[in-house]
Amino acid sequence: MRRIPVVYPAGATIALACMPWLLPDFYLSLLLTCLMYAGLAVSWAMFCGATNYLSLATAAFFGIGAYVTAWGFQALGYFPAVLLGGLAAAAFAALVGAAVLHLRGAYFAVITFGLGELVRHAITYYEKTWMHTVGRIIAEAPESTTVYFTVLVLALAAVAAAVAVRDSRLGLALRGIGQDEGRAQTLGVNTRKAKIAAFALSAFFAGALGAAMAVRWTYIDPPTVFNPFIGFQTVLIAMVGGAHTIVGPLVSSIVFSVLTEFLRLQFPYVFLIVLGTLLIVLVLYLPGGFASLFDKRFFRTSDAK
Amino acid sequence: MTFWLELIAGGLITGGIYAVVAMGLNLQYGLMRVMNISHGEFLMVGAYLTWLAHTTLGASPLLSLPFVMIVLFVVGLGVYWACFRPVMKTAARTAAPVEVIEARSLLVGFGLMFFVQNAAYLAFGADLRGYSYLAEPLQLGGMRLSANRLVVFGFALAASLALLAMLRWTLVGKAVRAMMQSPTGAQLLGIDTRILHPAVFGLGLAFAGAAGALLSMVYEISPSMGEPYTVTALIVITLGGLGSAAGCLLGGLLLGLIEAFGMHLTSPSLKMLLSYAVLILVLLARPKGLFSR
Repeated sequence: MRRIPVVYPAGATIALACMPWLLPDFYLSLLLTCLMYAGLAVSWAMFCGATNYLSLATAAFFGIGAYVTAWGFQALGYFPAVLLGGLAAAAFAALVGAAVLHLRGAYFAVITFGLGELVRHAITYYEKTWMHTVGRIIAEAPESTTVYFTVLVLALAAVAAAVAVRDSRLGLALRGIGQDEGRAQTLGVNTRKAKIAAFALSAFFAGALGAAMAVRWTYIDPPTVFNPFIGFQTVLIAMVGGAHTIVGPLVSSIVFSVLTEFLRLQFPYVFLIVLGTLLIVLVLYLPGGFASLFDKRFFRTSDAK
Repeated sequence: MTFWLELIAGGLITGGIYAVVAMGLNLQYGLMRVMNISHGEFLMVGAYLTWLAHTTLGASPLLSLPFVMIVLFVVGLGVYWACFRPVMKTAARTAAPVEVIEARSLLVGFGLMFFVQNAAYLAFGADLRGYSYLAEPLQLGGMRLSANRLVVFGFALAASLALLAMLRWTLVGKAVRAMMQSPTGAQLLGIDTRILHPAVFGLGLAFAGAAGALLSMVYEISPSMGEPYTVTALIVITLGGLGSAAGCLLGGLLLGLIEAFGMHLTSPSLKMLLSYAVLILVLLARPKGLFSR
């Protein structure tokens, strides 16, 4: 496995930390979106890239986190709400994971896709029946630099966690599961535990990012925060970049956020048509993502995947 | 009493459509492990074709149904050739072909979903469309049901039974069933996947188109109408068991009934929650389907 010298991430961190004073508001908010998707894609790939599971639950975790902020922001304050949002998503992931992680392939993908819809409908129903309103307003948002630094820290933490998991016994177990779950079990891996732990960890980041980003919308309702597009975009970014790497999703999250920001508002339908076509072409002709191009050219000796 | 009968009839009618939607998908997934998540999008295409034929040419929706099926069959051949044939080809060279086919075809399906849905938005706009066809109510043993819903139910049932009969008694059906039981064995006996796979994929889309054409007679249509039906189809397939066409028919009718009664006893906004609860329960208790032995 290839090591990146510590200088690059350290330099990138310092550069990113200076941005609030260097960039105008518009570009700062674009950068915020980049960081959000970077965090989401890296944490998605942490579990799904290694195990070859296809989880579409990101939108559910993100929405749960956002709703924790919506409910608890006033009472708890911003940072505890972000932490609690992550923990709530992780707990939800552990619970659901225990029930459905024995399924593989299409079943797992479909169930996790349904999860977002399920939680969304449940919350809508709850609000309608007991609160008599749908959605809530966030009155006093924290300053945009506070949000920026929180999301930056979360994205960096997601990358750090991805690196730590990759180099740990857990990461080894997850890759073993991805290649052949039966073999991993025979070799003494508690696959159930490993899968639930990694699934919950990756959900923590999605939930915390949702909680941190929630204050960007002044009005929060289930269709906004449980938007399946967030989940699709995350999967797409990770797959396009190369889900078995960490750098791949990072780079492609920048490309996609910029593209989305400029094209989606102007040509919403054409943008999604192009996105769909791109997804098909990539899966057919470059299933390992763009990172596989570099694997082949520069790192022939890296462990085959 | 009449009220309960109407509730049962309503549930069965919805369930009949679910069965037709699910059958096409089940055939594709059972035969070649292609989980085409854009199935509902082709249902939407079928609905729009019927609507177009009715509003511009004045064609009766029932008469245009076979044409819609033929068009979607041909579209299915094209989609298979362009998108899924390469997946099957490259997957055959990997270590775990079945898993690779499942994962990649799912992603290709998502791409198709984006593509078809947004192309429809571009072509037709986001407005709800509809036309009125046989909308007058009928009295039937004390029940009041609109005529179009009965016609839809009749056609849905007929299409499902025709497919069942084809699978059971014709040579093509036997080839499909043999292929589901043992792909290698079937190939050894001279069944050609290069013909059977595209044909079955096209047949699946033709059924999606038929379901769309039927739905357009009863409900208003929009470019995003397909997605919920894809999810419902997946639930029906899980209920009925993978690759089982008869299970699909029973599962569809059962889900229609469960939804009708569940919504009556709780609240209509809980429809999705109910379906998912059923799906998760079945997956946990009987992952091979309710009717598996």
